[in-house]
Order: sequence, then structure tokens, then C-alpha cells
Amino acid sequence: MKVLGKLINEQGIRTDGRRVDELRPIKIEVGVLKNADGSSYIEFGKNKIVVAVYGPKEVHPKHMALPDRSVLRCRYHMSPFSVEERKNPAPSRREIEISKVTREALEPALMLDDYPRTAIDVYIEVLQADGGSRCAGITAASVALADAGVNMKDLVASCAAGKVDDTIVLDINDEEDKEGQADMPLALLPNLNQITLMQMDGILAKDEYKKCLDTAIEGCKKVYQLQKEALMKKYFGTEIEVGNLA
Amino acid sequence: MQEIKRKYVVPGDLITDDNVRPVSNVIKIGDKIYATRIGIAEVATDGVKVIPLSGIYFPRVGDLVIGKVIDHSAMAWELDINSCFSGHLPAQDVFGKEFSPSREDLTSRLRTGDLIACKIAAFDRSRDPLLTVADKDLGKIPKGEVVRISPTRVPRLIGKRGSMIQTIEQSTGCKIIIGQNGITVVSGASTDGILLAVKAIKMVEEEAHTANLTQRVKDMLQSSIGESIGQIDQ
Amino acid sequence: MSSARKSNMIVEHLRRAQMKELLAERKRLDGRGLTESRPIKIETNVIKKANGSALVTLGNTQVIAGVKVETDEPYEELPDKGLLICNAEVLPLASAYAEPGPPDEDAIELARVVDRGIRESEMIDLKKLVLIEGQKVYAVFVDVGVLNVDGNLFDATSYAVVSALLTAKLPKLEVKDGKIVDTGKLMPAPIKTVPVSVTMVRIGDTIIADPTSEEEACMDARVTMTTDADGHVCAVQKGGTGTFTVEQIHHVVETAISKGEEIRPIIKKVTESG
Repeated sequence: MKVLGKLINEQGIRTDGRRVDELRPIKIEVGVLKNADGSSYIEFGKNKIVVAVYGPKEVHPKHMALPDRSVLRCRYHMSPFSVEERKNPAPSRREIEISKVTREALEPALMLDDYPRTAIDVYIEVLQADGGSRCAGITAASVALADAGVNMKDLVASCAAGKVDDTIVLDINDEEDKEGQADMPLALLPNLNQITLMQMDGILAKDEYKKCLDTAIEGCKKVYQLQKEALMKKYFGTEIEVGNLA
Repeated sequence: MQEIKRKYVVPGDLITDDNVRPVSNVIKIGDKIYATRIGIAEVATDGVKVIPLSGIYFPRVGDLVIGKVIDHSAMAWELDINSCFSGHLPAQDVFGKEFSPSREDLTSRLRTGDLIACKIAAFDRSRDPLLTVADKDLGKIPKGEVVRISPTRVPRLIGKRGSMIQTIEQSTGCKIIIGQNGITVVSGASTDGILLAVKAIKMVEEEAHTANLTQRVKDMLQSSIGESIGQIDQ
Repeated sequence: MSSARKSNMIVEHLRRAQMKELLAERKRLDGRGLTESRPIKIETNVIKKANGSALVTLGNTQVIAGVKVETDEPYEELPDKGLLICNAEVLPLASAYAEPGPPDEDAIELARVVDRGIRESEMIDLKKLVLIEGQKVYAVFVDVGVLNVDGNLFDATSYAVVSALLTAKLPKLEVKDGKIVDTGKLMPAPIKTVPVSVTMVRIGDTIIADPTSEEEACMDARVTMTTDADGHVCAVQKGGTGTFTVEQIHHVVETAISKGEEIRPIIKKVTESG
């Protein structure tokens, strides 16, 4: 549904007060669940998501194990109270698809060959959803995997860009998702500069597509800084220099 | 002594692009070396490694580990060694080469729930780790307080040439068995000694990434012992 | 712990022996007294999109509950009562032993026992949640996700459901010309009492309250008892394959009532901050 001029005003301010290149407020905490091998909690705008990682661990049933690498399994799930209309707890088709693309977004970063005949389980639970929950989930999952100490080439940072009122904007919110013209969630290996998730729905001309892609990548890089800060804070506190390790 | 440059890193951090040899927990892409774990990167002239601060225990041949018996077949016990694989302890290792399942029952020696100090005798990518108790000081642990720490902190708990663990043992009058898999067992005559040893172990786990830890642990132990002596004098 | 595939935690004999030695001296591994609960922390209104919510931390056990309100037809045999539906899921995040999938018998028992405590105590006056008798009533859903397991899911879940309901804001609906209309105003749920669930386990001859995962793994039997503000027992569930003597049950009743009085003010406090 195209509504020109309603989602961005003349000053370039969006419905939630942001400029077109601004991210929503993000907060990331590491190591929030005691039993999990690794965990994290993220607030991305109004999204509230908790992630647990269990693994590497033995695979059951044994015949599901691969002889030369670990099997990565992801479950993206929304709590019944996370959305406006109560959602049935059983996995929906949307959740199953997001679970798949999440796994495919995280796998390129992981060095699964290091853990033959094991499984790594990633559980993403959306406690409150608000547009871009899959990006927030991937961002938090990457942090939880690092917390679990799984060998990774890079973190995976994720963010969406889109087109709203004929303008390319960064990190679209719920309203922009529903009323806007295009939505492109993206995930990136920030140091290796490789894209691991890309989806799009809407209509974008060729140069709009490129601009949207660049905008999403810039967003991912900003998200990456926050992931790093959260991990450094948890593991190293306020220390900056390492010093004498005696 | 060669100079070692140290830096705190998270996965994906570029450590150096000096074309140095990658040693552990790093990945080399072209001339660049990136960290693959959260930890302390050490760059020396002969190689780059990251000392990880998180991660499960990955079995290594020769490691002393403390395992818990969780199951058994007619021929072997299965142990939870706090890793991504279970350990297998063959009956013959305990009963001897003449072991026969028809004559002897595994549970007569080791049962589900027993804690065992054992060594990893064999392990490769195609099978679960093989354990052995056929060595001095190995076997069922009869008593003690179990303290679990992250396996990544074990080297710090042991210290250079055992300096850290000896300090703790001497100050508290306890004996501490440390498994490379992060399971430790503290035994001693005095309850206060055991509590103090547990406190010291947890302190090392918490502050493993900081400098001058050995001295601070020493100070903590001294002041705690000083307090209790003070109380006795009163 | 990554390699355990057993469906239950196996506690080392050393720990078990330590536990039993301490119990003989009326003490526990974490230093608590036999009927002492772990610190209870309740945060409400954590999920703004829900009508009510609560995050409860009981020691290391952590549980989140969310209230969502809809309208629906009442049960045929209860045309003058609104609907209250409690669901619980032990999320795979919560423990190495929890698998993704539909609730198993333990999770279903958890939901039904908590529901019973709320329903039998008449915490919510369901008669006040009727719009058109026999046709349209409020349907209050409370969904619980267990985030971390360290024993006593029954009490943690109950405290979360009760706290979420106490602080819930329901849409004020009206009937105008036979149609349901949202006035745009909010109202609290009609509360009559605050039920408190108390769970105890028997290990040998000793009965302890608020067990940890380790204590549950060593238990012979378990009992959950819910009392209302008048000190009446309104819901009971015995669990586990062991037994209780009559004297033990008398002791359990006393403990459930006195601990109910101790914990009720902690839960009621959430209504002060809203």
C-alpha cells in the first residue's frame, strides 16, 4: 500500500522520530541464561529477544550426525504474547522459514569442521516483536555463539533497510514494514565483508536496490560495533590493556 | 625472552597482517590473521594464538579429566566428561585383560553417579574419546567438594609450573584435583580450608583475564587466614 | 553441560552424600534452611504489547508470563463465566534436557497445576468477565515460557502468572446495540484473592521447600500446594514415584499455609509499581 508523504515528513523525520539513516535504539547483553553454553538478550527498537546456544554437543539420534562436521540447528520462535494478536505456540510457516534463513545466515561464519559428529543448537525466542525481529535474532544469535566459544571466522551482524515514501531508509520499523514500499533484511560478516542473509519484498528499481543494499550494509556495520562492545564488556569489563598475565 | 604483544579480541578481529604463523584459535586468510574466539590474542615472532575465555572442553590425548559415570553396557562405562562427546572406559581397563562379561558385573566396581579421575588414552575425529584409569592417582574419587569452572580457565588455575594451584593448596591445607575439562574436586580436613579453597578457585575463574592475579589471590588467602586467626585469638 | 543425553540430570554420588549429610543437620547445599525459599524477584510490565506480563527469577529458575485478551464464546456449561486459559512451555533455551516440540507430559502438568491454583482459588472473578451471557465473554490467555530451569518450575510459573494477572490492563469493552465495542479505556482484571503456590520435596525423611534442580533429581516425592489469602488450601498436586506418610502431609499443609502468608506480600507488592 503506497501512502506518499505519510511516513516521512518534510523535515525528513520518520513516524518514530528518526532520520532516514538512523538505527533504532539497540541494547545487547551477553550471558543472560545460566544453563545455556552461550546466551544473549537484545532490545532492537521494541523487539525483545533472548537467544540460547547449546553445543557443540552429541547428536541424538546418532544417525543424524555428520562424520566430518557439526550440524547447526536453529529455531526461531515467537512467544504467544509477543505480537498484537495472540499467536498460537505451535511453529508457523513463517517461523519455519525464518529458522531456515537464520541458520543459513549464521553457518558461513562458523567453523563447523572443527567439531565432527556434534550438533550446535541455536534457540531464538522472540518475547516482543516489532519489525526486523529476524535481523535482531541473527544479531543476538551471533553474540550467543561467540559467548558459547564456538570457533567463528567473524561475527554476523544483521539489519534491514527499505523504501518508504520513495526514500531508501535504514532499519524499518513495524509501521514502515506494513505501509512501506520495500523491505530488505540483510546479514553480513563485517570483517570479511560477505553477505550471508538477503531477502527482499517490495519493488525496487536497479539503482534503488543498490542504494538499499549499501544502506543495509552500513547498518550492519553499526550493529557490529554494538555486538563487539557487548562482548568486550562482558568478558573484559572496563579493562583495555591486557598487562602481565602472571 | 621474546616479546609478546597482547590484545583482547572477539571473533573476526584482525590481529595482525604481518604474515606470522597461525598457532591456535586463529584463522589465516592471505597475510591476515583473525581471531576465531573471544580471548587474549598473543603475537610472538614465532606465531599468533588466542587464549580463549569461553568454550566447551574439546578432548586431547593425555589430558587428565574428571568424568561422571552416566551409563554402562556389558563391556564399558560411559562417562560425562563435560565435553561434546561422552568418554568410554572399557571394563578391561579396570578389571584386567581377563575380564569376561558373563563372570563379572561392571557395577561392582563403578556405578552411575561415581566421579572418576581418568586420562584420555585415545581420541580422533572418527570416534568418542577412550579413557583409562590405569595410572597413579587415577580412579574413583571417594570424597570432596566438586567445583565446576569454565575449562578455558584451567591453565590459569594451575598457573606457571603449578604456581597458582600450589599457592591455594598450601594456604588452605587442601588437596585439589583439577580436570582439564573444568571439573575440580577439593578435599581437606578443615571445612574452613575447603570453603577458602573454593573461594580462591572461583576468584581465579572470574578474573582469569586480568593481570597480577597470582599476587591478588595470595593476598586474598592471607587476609582470610589472618581474619580467622584473629577470631581465634579473641 | 554438553554431552548429557539422559532425560534427567544425574547427580554425582559425592554431591548426593553431601546433600544427605547436610539434611541430617537440617541444612542444604546452598546454605538455606529446610523451608527457606530462594530470593524471589518479580518484574512486571516487561512486554508492552501484552496486556500484562511478569518476569520471575527464583534463584536461577527464570520464567516469563504474558497475558493476552480476546473475546470468545463461553463454555456451554458455564455461560455466565469468562474464559481463563493457562499454557506453559519449557523452552529449549531453558536446559540441556529440554527439547523443542509440543509440550510433553511434564509441561502439560505444569500448566494444568498452575491453572488449577488460579482457578480453584477464584483469583479472577470470571463472572465479571461476561459481555453477553451465553454468547460473548472475555477470554484471558496467560502463556508462560520457562527461560532457565533450576528447580521448582511450579512455584516460579505460578508467581509469574499471578503477577502478570495482578498488573494486567484489560480493554474495557461494552455492548452497544448487540455489538461489542472497545471504549478505548483500560481496566484491571477483577481480582478476588492472591493464591500462593508452595512446592516441597521429600528426600529421605526430610521435607524441603523450593527445591533446586539438584534437589529435585534426588527427591523421592514432590507436592505442590496452593493457598488463598484466607489460608485455605485450594489446589494440590503430588508428583514423583515416591510416597508420603499422613504425618508428612500434615506438615506440608502447615508449611504451605505459613509460607503462603510469607510470600503473598512479596507478590502483592508488584501492584504498587503497577
